[in-house]
Amino acid sequence: MGADPLVALLAASAQGNRAAFEQLYRQTSAKLFGVALRIVRQEDLAEEVLQDCYIRIWNRAGDYREGLAAPMTWMASIVRNRSLDWVRRANPEVIDVDGEIIEGVASDTLGPLADLERSRDGAALARCLRELEAKQRQAILLAFHDGLSHSELAARLRQPLGTVKTWVRRGLAKLKTCLGQA
Amino acid sequence: MDLARNAELRERLAAEFALGTLRGRARQRLRRWIAEEPALAKAVRDWELRLAPMAAAAVAVQPPARVWRTIEERLGRERARPGGIWANLAFWRNLGLVASGVAAGLIAAIIAAPPRPSPAPQPVVVRVPSNEMAASYLAVLSDQKTQKPMLIVSAGRSSNELWVKTLDPAIQVPDRSLELWALPPGQPPKSLGVIPRAEKMTALKLVAAADQALGDVPALAVSLEPSGGSPTGAPTGPVLYTGPFLKYW
Repeated sequence: MGADPLVALLAASAQGNRAAFEQLYRQTSAKLFGVALRIVRQEDLAEEVLQDCYIRIWNRAGDYREGLAAPMTWMASIVRNRSLDWVRRANPEVIDVDGEIIEGVASDTLGPLADLERSRDGAALARCLRELEAKQRQAILLAFHDGLSHSELAARLRQPLGTVKTWVRRGLAKLKTCLGQA
Repeated sequence: MDLARNAELRERLAAEFALGTLRGRARQRLRRWIAEEPALAKAVRDWELRLAPMAAAAVAVQPPARVWRTIEERLGRERARPGGIWANLAFWRNLGLVASGVAAGLIAAIIAAPPRPSPAPQPVVVRVPSNEMAASYLAVLSDQKTQKPMLIVSAGRSSNELWVKTLDPAIQVPDRSLELWALPPGQPPKSLGVIPRAEKMTALKLVAAADQALGDVPALAVSLEPSGGSPTGAPTGPVLYTGPFLKYW
């Protein structure tokens, strides 16, 4: 596996290198904006989330540990975390921005997993997601990508709240077991 | 609730928190527990990293240019980062450059940088062997935003070599080149070459002796360029470091 250029950019950013940080932003901001936008659903809010997250990434670049996760994984977890803190949804009937993931999940073609398999940290996760029951996988992917709460998930999947909670819980437990064996 | 003793519940809450299904008050409450219980904090971190690769499937959306501008402004307002080699030199006014000669003892040149309205000015002392840095022409190039000195450039008056010392090797950026420019008055910038990476002190070849090639140049600059240098012969990327080019004789 080739060296991830983002590792060097993060390391240089940790040293206070603004040019490297700008490159890091250029190479990662579109993906991370997509992550934030999908969860908070409001462009102005997603922009604020992104700004906050990059300030955080700049300040915390020195905490990044290459052995634990790829840079993109580390940054995405920061953006997701912040997005989930900010999300205030008046209407749980959220609009599907692009439909891509939902359709992929619904038709069980697992389109989104193809991207996952190509990423450094994603191959094992993709394999383990495939091992889940379809409804568990669907619930987890929806919750993750759209930042849906249990009740939003239940509304979206038109299932009782308790049922959806069980899918998520069992799916996550299986996922962990599977990843632990990887 | 004693999460420390209930490993199963801890694991479940950590997973739900990382997945994002906990919302509002439930999320805030768990956040407080995370702050109090290291084992829970670790479980959450593990789960975040376990699930975050899924973000690779997110559809990329180009953020508007104002997002980066705002980030830059916010970074500009912050003080220089603590830690790193400039930790105790965050603000500086005078720069003392001490060149230690091989036989001739010490030559010291003090460059008075323009006064800056900053607390506790401290001198920055850079030790450079004089055989590598003949102090005839001298420039200290600083980061335009943080004012941190990043490179020292020098040349003897009759020398065809321009010495470049990188004060912080981390300024090199993967897949890009740093290019040094002379800024003659009333003329376009003149390339002095790409600053080689992975070497702290390097010489760039001048087209003529420094007196002829650079005698009328009051300032130098470094820009970020595509790998190998500007394809056009003029700076194409952002100017990162600049400084006056001074004569010492």
